[in-house]
Amino acid sequence: MEPIRTDFTGYEGQFVAIDARTGEIVLADQDLLVVLEQAKGRNHVVVHGRVPYADEPLYVGMG
Amino acid sequence: MAASRTRMSRSMSAWADAPPLPWLYPYREDAQSTRLGEPVFRPFVPISLVHGDQSVWQLTGLVDTGADAILASNLLAEPLGIDLADNEGESTHAVGGRVLTSQYKTIGLQLHPSDAAEDVYLEWQAPVGFVEGWHSDGLVLLGSIGFLNRFTVTASRFAQAVAVEDRDAFDERFGTTLSA
Repeated sequence: MEPIRTDFTGYEGQFVAIDARTGEIVLADQDLLVVLEQAKGRNHVVVHGRVPYADEPLYVGMG
Repeated sequence: MAASRTRMSRSMSAWADAPPLPWLYPYREDAQSTRLGEPVFRPFVPISLVHGDQSVWQLTGLVDTGADAILASNLLAEPLGIDLADNEGESTHAVGGRVLTSQYKTIGLQLHPSDAAEDVYLEWQAPVGFVEGWHSDGLVLLGSIGFLNRFTVTASRFAQAVAVEDRDAFDERFGTTLSA
């Protein structure tokens, strides 16, 4: 199965929401609550979380 | 949207038009940079959290067999109208050299299919630990208690997909090992 790709470039430090079918970023904001509010009612849209900066460590496991 | 729900089990319900399990989910690219120059793909599934008449829109939940419970960012407590001071218990976790505290509350969870159709989901109740100082880019971890004890979940990095089946599917495949 082909994985869903997303180009996160340019969204570092922002919370993003994605079209689950395509992986395209459809919403972004510094404030998670803004993204959650704007995502509400948009079918097929999932709030993914915050995009880290390139120099942030690669976390594994919980949290 | 379907107007009624069909009872699937004593503890699980679904909209009447929800397709039967298994549900397949392609791996998704994570926002966490790259590993050795390659993109990071992880087993994410769309999940909604519900508390009373409040809910948060669909989130990417990371399937994590190493997590003992369902854990979420405490940033989600406010939009859910949850007062974490009124919790059902606390626990601490040592992660990456840091100690994180989670405060538990039993809430509703809705698992959606891979296309994140909002009106198609399975719903159940489970304790969720809301964690301070969350540093993951994903907002929810789907661990053992509350998720992996509700479904049989098969993740294959080779197939680049995760399958969610009825929890009895494991016993049917490998023989009964333990009754829940």
